[in-house]
Amino acid sequence: MDSPEPFKVMDCSLVRCPTGRSCANLRELRDAIQTVPEAVIEHHMMRCALEDHFALYEFPNDLALWCWNALGDHLLAEHLGVVDPYQHPDIATLREHLLDYIDDRLWSLDRVPWCRGGLELHLVQSRLVSYDTGERISTPAALVDAVDRMSSRSLFYHVHEARRRSGGTTDDFSLWFEDLGVDPEAVRRLRAIDFYFLNLQQLREELLAVFQECLMDPLDRKGTRR
Amino acid sequence: MNLLDQYEQVVGHWEIERLRRLGERLAGKRIVHVNSTKSGGGVAEILGWMIPLMRELGMDVSWEVIQGPPEFYRVTKALHNGLQGFPVALRQRDYALHCEVNRENAQRLDVQADVVFVHDPQPLFLPHFTPKDRVGKWVWRCHIDASRPNRAIWKHLEKGIADYGAAIFSMAAFTRPLRCPMYLIPPSIDPLSDKNCALSETERLATLSQTGIDADRPLLLQVSRFDRFKDPLGVIEAYRLLKPYYPELQLALAGGPADDDPEGAEVLDEVRTRAADDKDTKVLLLPPDAHRAINALQRSAIIVLQKSLKEGFGLTVTEALWKGKPVVGGASGGIALQVHDYHTGFLVYSPPGAAYRIRYLLRYAEKRQRMGKTGHIFVREHFLLTRHLRDYMTMLLDLEQPDGKVLAV
Repeated sequence: MDSPEPFKVMDCSLVRCPTGRSCANLRELRDAIQTVPEAVIEHHMMRCALEDHFALYEFPNDLALWCWNALGDHLLAEHLGVVDPYQHPDIATLREHLLDYIDDRLWSLDRVPWCRGGLELHLVQSRLVSYDTGERISTPAALVDAVDRMSSRSLFYHVHEARRRSGGTTDDFSLWFEDLGVDPEAVRRLRAIDFYFLNLQQLREELLAVFQECLMDPLDRKGTRR
Repeated sequence: MNLLDQYEQVVGHWEIERLRRLGERLAGKRIVHVNSTKSGGGVAEILGWMIPLMRELGMDVSWEVIQGPPEFYRVTKALHNGLQGFPVALRQRDYALHCEVNRENAQRLDVQADVVFVHDPQPLFLPHFTPKDRVGKWVWRCHIDASRPNRAIWKHLEKGIADYGAAIFSMAAFTRPLRCPMYLIPPSIDPLSDKNCALSETERLATLSQTGIDADRPLLLQVSRFDRFKDPLGVIEAYRLLKPYYPELQLALAGGPADDDPEGAEVLDEVRTRAADDKDTKVLLLPPDAHRAINALQRSAIIVLQKSLKEGFGLTVTEALWKGKPVVGGASGGIALQVHDYHTGFLVYSPPGAAYRIRYLLRYAEKRQRMGKTGHIFVREHFLLTRHLRDYMTMLLDLEQPDGKVLAV
């Protein structure tokens, strides 16, 4: 299947900016979440995916992981672990949601959980620098090859960041398939991938599995480069 | 073959292609790095590879080195230690000397550029003495832990930092609040350097033979200075707890003396005394340029330890992971960023903890190998110099538009 508009492969890099602020106990975390710039919450809840490469990590965001590992507050960690930031319309709503969980937890505790020295949560904000790799994909089958070898940062850009750009509705791959008129089942299955709870390698495997199962045509496997 | 092509063999075509794309956006940009020495030390090592690569990617990059009398370097050594929180006492005239040498160098050095990176505190006051129209943006690159500096030293340095447009640190834990924007760029290793390149089996075995290590028996290794913060005595204690279960086990503690630590010789003596009654424990005092020997030892180890009580980034951990070795490391500094329980090794908090985790790894060869493989991939993704270079380049792009949430270039 030829496409008049080839898929443009993008890559991105994270510019991480420490705030110089850190948290050593749950109350400090609560105060930080209330006052830090939105980019800090965005980094620790979403962009931290770019730093996680381990299949067995229990939690998809820094806050849940820190509560589990450093504070030893497993109950709160479990709550924060199921917060899906991509289901929130904006960071302000997400902030309110996180504060609500933490306030609930603080309310129920006799003592504020704290971490030992060296395990503080150092707050970071980040910006994403995206750039065109120059690679163009002209067929769905060629996209299978491209996804197989593209950087994990490209996957993040085309799935996680695409969700932000599209108001939570779609990733770039399924959008392109839709434009091409590819089987709607493939589009549906791509959009149903629970990407937030996967690390980027797992995400790659899931994408490839959907491609393999839904793209039936024996297509050529060549992309084009500009 | 140019330099980028050589790295392409290690990180793959697409990774280098991405760097070239970023380079296109920065082509012709004039960049100057300033530090205090052309050779010796980690900063010179980084600039040694970074500058040729930046040039190959199209940037106009040069490297300037400040000069000063011996007294200046005594003062800057104290500033360096004070920035890391060690107690140092400097007089007013020492601070004045620091500024004066910076003023002289500002007149001598060619720093006309879009961006000037000033490395560490020695040349920190250059912006203060350089005409404003010569430099687009000054960036302070702090390679050390500045989170808890000596107060008097910080009061002095803070005046110099005020002239910078941005600062870069290796880890979030090394920062403290500053008025200028801060960036995180972790360090990296060079996979083609003597310390990390592939070695022939002949060379590896020759190193073991020279150091008296039996190539046919399992080896535990810690590479570090003989410094209390690296806890070499704790490593020996862990090894001794293991020895009854694994009598064939060997331990090597390899490193150079801590020249700037008056306790270094004392620690080395204690280590030698503690190791004296065990012929399978080798204490190896190696010269600073024994990179290939370190490489051979790391490749020969079954498990690498870095049982530090206090650590900077811990590049010896990165080196071991790159060579496919699981690491048992102290939960401090950058070790905690690299060692992830059950994935790349284990974080430990005591000698018995280290012994217990090593026992686990010795018992389960398959898990050990899997962790080694994961560690290698982890370093390839996060801690090779190509990532380091990409971080610098994206930071340069970000400096041009620091307010965007997502910057498209």
